[in-house]
Amino acid sequence: MRLMIAAATLLVIFVCVPLPAVYSALDQPQPLPSGAEQPKAATPETQKPVLKQALMSERVENLTPVRPGFAFSVSSGQVCCFTSFDPVPQATVIYHRWFRRDELSTQTRLRLYPPKWSTYSVIQLRETDKGPWRVEVIDQNGQIFQVLRFSITD
Amino acid sequence: MTRTLAFLSSIRWQDIVDILINSYILLRVYILFQGTNAFRVLVGITSLWILQEIAASIGLILTSWAIRGITAAAAIIIIVVFRNEIRAALQVRNLKTFLWGFPNREQTTPVEVITESVFQMAKRRMGALLVFPGKEDLGEVIHGGISWNGTVSQEMLMSVFWNQSPVHDGAAIIRGHEVAEVGVLLPLSQRQDLPSYYGTRHRAAVGLAERADALVVVVSEERGRVSVARDNSLKPVVDKEELSYLIKKHLNYPDINPAKQRERERVKLIVAAGLSLMIMTGIWFGFTRSQDTIVGLSVPIEYINRPLNYEILETSVDEAKLQLFGSSAIIKSLKPGQVGVRLDLSKAAEGRNTFTINQDDIMLPPGVSLNKIQPATIEVTLDVPATKELPVQVDWVGKLPENRALADVSVSPETIKVTGGSKTLEKVSTVYTAPVRLDGLSKSGSISSPIVLSPPSLRISSTSPDRVTIHYTLQEKPPAR
Repeated sequence: MRLMIAAATLLVIFVCVPLPAVYSALDQPQPLPSGAEQPKAATPETQKPVLKQALMSERVENLTPVRPGFAFSVSSGQVCCFTSFDPVPQATVIYHRWFRRDELSTQTRLRLYPPKWSTYSVIQLRETDKGPWRVEVIDQNGQIFQVLRFSITD
Repeated sequence: MTRTLAFLSSIRWQDIVDILINSYILLRVYILFQGTNAFRVLVGITSLWILQEIAASIGLILTSWAIRGITAAAAIIIIVVFRNEIRAALQVRNLKTFLWGFPNREQTTPVEVITESVFQMAKRRMGALLVFPGKEDLGEVIHGGISWNGTVSQEMLMSVFWNQSPVHDGAAIIRGHEVAEVGVLLPLSQRQDLPSYYGTRHRAAVGLAERADALVVVVSEERGRVSVARDNSLKPVVDKEELSYLIKKHLNYPDINPAKQRERERVKLIVAAGLSLMIMTGIWFGFTRSQDTIVGLSVPIEYINRPLNYEILETSVDEAKLQLFGSSAIIKSLKPGQVGVRLDLSKAAEGRNTFTINQDDIMLPPGVSLNKIQPATIEVTLDVPATKELPVQVDWVGKLPENRALADVSVSPETIKVTGGSKTLEKVSTVYTAPVRLDGLSKSGSISSPIVLSPPSLRISSTSPDRVTIHYTLQEKPPAR
């Protein structure tokens, strides 16, 4: 059932579906790009999830980002924003807001479930998408966890 | 009737002043140059120009080109050939004479002294040649001559033409009350019909009269007869009265009939003034009122008097399309700086302001009228200046080699301060570098790149650098599974 949902997700442009975390994969965290802005720590009072990892990659396979980077060729067809939260105190919602330059291109609503959760959003690339992009990872109150910056190139 | 009234009401006071000034200039040109050869050639050139315009208007292309060429050449030639006349006409004692007075070319000549001297010389069989210049310059036709500048007297003339005098064979030029030059060589006439008893002196007199409007008095040495040469004719003069009359007539002496002379001069001047006015009015109407040509122009909009505490954030348009009409001559000579749209922002407030463009906002040269403007209204958004610290992002372009990946990127400094309109800055959350090409990158390193601000109304704060250093790390791309 999970595989079916994941397959359906990849077929939809600008849509991302929350996936249950694969704990074994997340137990071995991906290296965080030094250019990425550091996540903010959540306070116990607010019961906010903590962003453990966020990066851009060409693909996500088995909830593992493949070919992370800062510049992605349009010929690769897609680009993913992968985020991993640990801990997630309670079920909540986050957003991935995709901006091309300063214009909001798309926004994806993603669910997080306790105790920890990994999720990603993906966009399909077109020739007209070339240029500098950023993805803001924000909570339901608009609080920014992290901003990821990258470029879509030839 | 209504059209006439509308037309009259459209004439501005500046137009009337324009016509009057130019009419006066034309009249002054006539007064200063009248009677000179230069003036006659000027009239000829004007006629050629009119002919050229007519030829052009009826489609005689080659003729109009040819006449235009001749007119242009003649305009240069007139200055070279008639430089002496032009200089004489413009050489006035003061500005008042130049602008207002009348050139007094004829100075009172002591005619009675001259006639008495001439007949005395005739009686004594002394050959003499006296030249009374007219309005034409003689510089081109006479040669030699010794400057004399002596006041005319019987003794003076007798001594000049005394047969032992070294200058007695030449002519004496009489200007006003002075013997201006003596020993002057005159051109000889080539006419075959002159009586054989006329010697060189008579041929010289006729020769000069043929070429200029001068009057030449000749005294025969052999026969003691007095003759007067003027306009191709050599006429014997029998007595002093006749000679006096001829000289006075030639010099426009007022005492021939002073009242009539003055009246004639006055009428001549009034006619010249009237003609100048008519010509200038015609030219002015031709230039400014024909309104036969319509032209469309895109003109940049100038925003003036912007309140100091605001910045222009946005304008709905940067250019206005003007449809102008006027005479083809004026429309063709329009220059970019002559037409403009200036919007006064002195009463503008923060936020969006809508201005309707009216006649006062449009700068047009005289004779050009506005038919239509597009758009009729312009929206201008003003904003308060502010400073914002913004993160810098690299604008990567091009393509990395297939096996390379951009593993890490950092920018130094990470943020820069940008100033601009607060509303503009609200919409800006990142500044970008100039495009940085990936193609040439083969190993990790650093690149310096300038910042490119968008929109251009933004500026980098003086405390921030306008370039950043990009540190990048390349690594092998993991093979695709």
